[in-house]
Amino acid sequence: MAQPVNPIQVKERLKYKDKQKVNLQRPKKGPKYFFRKCKEQKELLWMSVPFLIWLFIFKYLPLGGWVMAFQNFRPARGFLDQEWAGFDNFRFLFGSERFLEIMRNTLAMSIINLVLGFVTAVTLAVLLNELRNITFKRIVQTISYMPHFLSWVVVAGLVSTALSMDDGIINTVLLNLGIIDTPVMWLGVGHYFWGIIGASDVWKSVGWNSIIYLAAMTMIDQEQYEAAEIDGASRMQRIWYITLPGIKPVVVILLIMNIGYILESGFEAQYLLMNSMNMDFAENLDIYVLRYGISMANFSLATAAGMFKTIISFIFLFGANKIAEKLGEARLF
Amino acid sequence: MKVKKLSLLFMLMVALMWFFVACGDADEETVTDNGDGSGETSDENVTYHYFIGGSGRDVNTNETVIGEIFEEQTGVNFQVEYLVGDLNERIGVMLAGGTYPDVVVGAGTEDMLVDAGAFIPLNDLLEEHGPNILEMYGEYLDRFTYPDGNIYYIPFGAEINEYQPMANIDQGAFWIQRGVLKEYDFPEVRTLDEYFDLITRYADENPEIDGMTTVPFTGIGHDTNFFRISNAPNHLAGYPNDGGVMIDMETHEASVYADSEHAKRYLEKLNELNAEGYLDQEMFVMNNDDYLAKLSSGRVLGFFDYGWAFGDARNALQEANDPDKEFMALPIVFDEDIKDQYIDPPAFVQNRGTGITVNAENPERIVQYWDNMVKEENQRLIMWGIEGEHYEVNDEGRYYRTEEQIELVRPQSFQEEFGMTTFSWDWPRINGTFSDGNSIEPRRQPEVATLEYREGDREYLDAYDIDTFSEIFSLPDDRPWYPAWSANIAPGSDADIFEENSDQLLKRHYPRIVLADPSNFEAEWDTFVEAYRSLNVDAYEEFFTRTVEERLNGNWQFGEE
Repeated sequence: MAQPVNPIQVKERLKYKDKQKVNLQRPKKGPKYFFRKCKEQKELLWMSVPFLIWLFIFKYLPLGGWVMAFQNFRPARGFLDQEWAGFDNFRFLFGSERFLEIMRNTLAMSIINLVLGFVTAVTLAVLLNELRNITFKRIVQTISYMPHFLSWVVVAGLVSTALSMDDGIINTVLLNLGIIDTPVMWLGVGHYFWGIIGASDVWKSVGWNSIIYLAAMTMIDQEQYEAAEIDGASRMQRIWYITLPGIKPVVVILLIMNIGYILESGFEAQYLLMNSMNMDFAENLDIYVLRYGISMANFSLATAAGMFKTIISFIFLFGANKIAEKLGEARLF
Repeated sequence: MKVKKLSLLFMLMVALMWFFVACGDADEETVTDNGDGSGETSDENVTYHYFIGGSGRDVNTNETVIGEIFEEQTGVNFQVEYLVGDLNERIGVMLAGGTYPDVVVGAGTEDMLVDAGAFIPLNDLLEEHGPNILEMYGEYLDRFTYPDGNIYYIPFGAEINEYQPMANIDQGAFWIQRGVLKEYDFPEVRTLDEYFDLITRYADENPEIDGMTTVPFTGIGHDTNFFRISNAPNHLAGYPNDGGVMIDMETHEASVYADSEHAKRYLEKLNELNAEGYLDQEMFVMNNDDYLAKLSSGRVLGFFDYGWAFGDARNALQEANDPDKEFMALPIVFDEDIKDQYIDPPAFVQNRGTGITVNAENPERIVQYWDNMVKEENQRLIMWGIEGEHYEVNDEGRYYRTEEQIELVRPQSFQEEFGMTTFSWDWPRINGTFSDGNSIEPRRQPEVATLEYREGDREYLDAYDIDTFSEIFSLPDDRPWYPAWSANIAPGSDADIFEENSDQLLKRHYPRIVLADPSNFEAEWDTFVEAYRSLNVDAYEEFFTRTVEERLNGNWQFGEE
């Protein structure tokens, strides 16, 4: 595409080229190059120092605590006074007959949340992006992201009230529509639980999650839309061929990052909505750790589970990143 | 663009502020006493840091009326801090860093604290500075002396003189809406069959109450509350709440009852009720708030629960001023010939208490303070208040409260300002009666309890010819090991893991058994028994049998790793 020539731009570009030329003459590798680069970017480096320190203190130092997973850790004893347990804690974790069920629940809810979360957030963002009435758009956006600020305790209360057998709005509506004859005990049937969690999660976070896609859409060059319109592209075509490809890099990056959290299917929602009748489908890894680890003062088991989670997340993260690379998409690192 | 930048900046600032606030909190934790540190006991005023592992409102004791009096007497003030967040986590942080407050009420973490060497032995201090404590706790001292011969913490509520039962039932019971009793002319209800007959009959005749569907029988088993469903068969069989086991009165053997004939009988009854549509299926689904709301709505006819667990609903119903909608506790048993044992025997929970940590300077000042407060006159001040202001004494020397005084003392705000809230538990204290025969706790004094009854209550009391509502219950038999649930179960031990597993299993299977089609009842029950028996039941029973045996021999510190 031919672009109008702007004299100032041309000048700038030339200047930049000159600089590049200068750089080209120097070696691009070796410690010398490294130090020169550092000097050039010293402001940036200084700015990143506090965060590196933070990262080190809060993310790397605690890794030393992983040792606990191989001990029968008792608080307030010195390191040498601890009793070594080898892989006992891992054996207890993986050997538990409920482990498979718990992993199933964790992965199922996680994947449901991931897929539902992506699809709904992208859809909402696309729809909002198409709106021409700014006021209406603002209102919808505000209303849809408000629930993000509610704590899960409140949301769980709302959900269980809505699903209640007497006077719950869901049952009332379905009864009046004639879809069901008797009220359904939604929270009393295990098979519904994943759906309930997925739906409440969407309600709570769809607006918030769509913000980042909306932001990505504003980066798309408006001229492309104009050009497409002149070429006779319909609205759907414009969405399909311009908007979606435009936000693809963001989607891929977020997907990779979220796949790293695949074992984090959430804790509060399940914990608060769980009851004796749906627990077979509600208990996930975090709840299991709380029950058998933290609340029984078995910190070693909790650490072992945490370690397991980190390693799985690590594998998933790298796997997803590699796949994205293979597919020629944007990637995280 | 500018707006966006500004809002970004704002968000950054908020995040930073959060960070600093969080740090500020951490600093506060290290605030300890400002003792003079001279080593010698002095009369100078000092402030100690008193951590309580329960919920409450932080306070300086000398800001309360009682605390001010105690400060005058001893020169000691306590900055009382209650738990925010998770107890194990908080104690864990203390242990890890050794940053103990001066005094810690462990609320169940005592063993961990002792294990870590956080508490100082109190024996010599008590010998020298605590004559009153030694006297009041006399017969109980052995119970909380550790195997190494040391006393590390002082439990609460040593029973002295005479045991006083509560005037109202705050323990387990089958509850019934009083209107049901009135409708059928105040019948005497003793057995489970009679109880359910009455409820179902009333539900048939009144399908709606105040325009809402009648809930004939409900319950609550959410989260950690499943015992509020699963304990019922134990009580129906005539046993008090000893935890997960029944202790035989003759052989003193402990046996689990979750898969016993008693449990089966109760679940079968619930299964029948469910099949006939009288059972509220949501009892397995509701959370505590839903449950309390349901009870408060006045359309529930009956349920099993512990009185202390649904106080909010009781208060709400009382305030609604419809006495027939309130609930009355009934001592229901399986058969006519079983003696009910709903009321707790005198219990001394020996494995919880308040201890002084290694960080406290001049710990004798704290012991002196405690010793001063367990004196009868000071206990009277804490429990009853000031004579002439908060209670009266009649010619026979009995304490009572006038109606105005009852109203004066009732509000939470008064109790907090006066210090009753702070001092009535979590500090060394006594229970039972004063040497003059009056109850230590006003709520156990019949003169006070009866005055608190209102017109609506009297109708029922008169109809059943009783003075207090607990009178229709049998008095507790002598169970010197009670409560078995306070056994020292070591974390990670067989008994500990069994408890967790068993709780999970009951939660999973009981609802299935109850909600099953009656033709499937036996099959569901058998599946459950099989799963239950695959747990380490024997180790659990054996542990409790040993615990009871040791306690009967005077050893309350028995526990196994």
